[in-house]
Amino acid sequence: MLASDPAMRLFFKLSQLAFQRQMSYRAAAIAGVLTNFFFGLLRAAIMIALYQNQIEVEGMDLSQAITFTAIGQALIGYLSMFHWYEQMQSVYTGEIATDLLKPMGYFRYWLAKDFGRAIAALLTRGVTIFLAFELVFDLVYPESPLGWLNLVIAMLLAWLVSFCWRFLANLPSFWMTNARGVGIFVFMSAQALSGFIMPLRFFPEWFQKFANLTPFPHSVNTVVEVQLGLLSGPQVWLAFANQLLWIIGMVVVIKLVLRAGVRKLVVVGG
Amino acid sequence: MAEITYSLRLLRRLIGANFRGQLSYRLSFFFELLAVFFITLLEFASFALVLPRFGNIGGWVLGEVALLAGMVNIAFGIMDMIFSGFDPGNFGRQVRLGRMDQLLLRPANITLQVLGSEFILRRIGRILVGVGIFILALSLTEISWTAEKIALLLSSILGQILFFGALFVIGATITFWTVDSIEVINIFTYGGSEMISYPMHIYPQFLRRFFTFILPAIFLNYFPALVILGKPDPLGFPAYAAWLSFPAGLLVLIIAMRFWRFGLAHYQSTGT
Repeated sequence: MLASDPAMRLFFKLSQLAFQRQMSYRAAAIAGVLTNFFFGLLRAAIMIALYQNQIEVEGMDLSQAITFTAIGQALIGYLSMFHWYEQMQSVYTGEIATDLLKPMGYFRYWLAKDFGRAIAALLTRGVTIFLAFELVFDLVYPESPLGWLNLVIAMLLAWLVSFCWRFLANLPSFWMTNARGVGIFVFMSAQALSGFIMPLRFFPEWFQKFANLTPFPHSVNTVVEVQLGLLSGPQVWLAFANQLLWIIGMVVVIKLVLRAGVRKLVVVGG
Repeated sequence: MAEITYSLRLLRRLIGANFRGQLSYRLSFFFELLAVFFITLLEFASFALVLPRFGNIGGWVLGEVALLAGMVNIAFGIMDMIFSGFDPGNFGRQVRLGRMDQLLLRPANITLQVLGSEFILRRIGRILVGVGIFILALSLTEISWTAEKIALLLSSILGQILFFGALFVIGATITFWTVDSIEVINIFTYGGSEMISYPMHIYPQFLRRFFTFILPAIFLNYFPALVILGKPDPLGFPAYAAWLSFPAGLLVLIIAMRFWRFGLAHYQSTGT
């Protein structure tokens, strides 16, 4: 039923194309994995040194803390944690003119492309990072099929949350001739507040409260807490509900901003 | 002599033009500077906020780690400005676009021209954070400064500038062959600077060996910091190891410049 819907077919066709495109950057993928793994080793070494005189901190033991570093490094590609300026570039190059003519909602068009990119990054960079970590450390995984299902849901919602903020970070391009500075800010906030650098629960209470006012923890931190089994029963559902609310809220904002932006857009020829 | 003054004047001209270019997009420049400032700050701040839950890292308290991190960020920030032209990501693009051919046609020293081709001011942001972290280190520790310790501090910072600058030159030279900039060099530049922001004894032996015997990053700030902080050396290196920062940086830069000249001699344009 789903596959026969032409809109869905178009969506997955676009995803598939983006997937293939991402898969063709083999040299970049290898370099990316090596870099992510090296930084992962440093981060794991820091965790080991921190845990020298501790068995458990905030409900996390050392192997959970090391798994945290593996998850973080594995998500860099999947969630495009450091940069994503594709939409912005299409405004500056004028490609947006043809994108807007496509028989598909503009937001959905980018969502489909990013889905393919994300899945490709997860299967190549993400899985390789975990395999490399497995060679050196003992990692923690969900203990039941339900735990795995929760992880898959958390990952999917985390990608949606991250896509929404990345897309929003690109939209000032409708009004500014160089909106990259704004974008850098969003990505930086994402790294700091998403629980990517350090598990959010290690931070002082005021910091956690502040972070929870932003969409960022509902990506990396939620995936971490679900995979490490730090949330029990209803807490998992609450975490999913939070993710969903942020997605809905951001999509509404995106639609409003897009409507204003497209009206204002002037594509310079040539 | 005349040649040196000419070269310096040329460099000043090139960099001056570069400054004016960057400052003409004021808002964008301001945002990017702030971004660099916060990126550097956030990383250290995250660590500082989390450390109280653990007490110390490998026996080092916050003020002591801050000494390492402060020195690294000051040095890396200065290096990043001076050697912007050689920044592998940026340089690779110049090679791809054929701008290298333009530079080679000009009747001036090519190394100077590349040095003068970029001088990215926004990286002051990183230096400012470095100074801030360094001041934090001074306020949290009680270092009794002597002439020897100040000399060690300067030698360490200078050594780091030369060392990481050399890595930029090597990364840039490799793009003569790969054309695309290679992300792997980031392991040594950004990864290396991240690594030496923490005491070296916390790392597994194979990493430490690599960064001692193949890339001598361990000498850059760890041993000087041990002497400045008056801490014993858990790795059992000879006392003069603290003085090896500047020689190590210089050695790597000399090798890098040789490689750069070799690369130039074998440079083939992309034809763009």
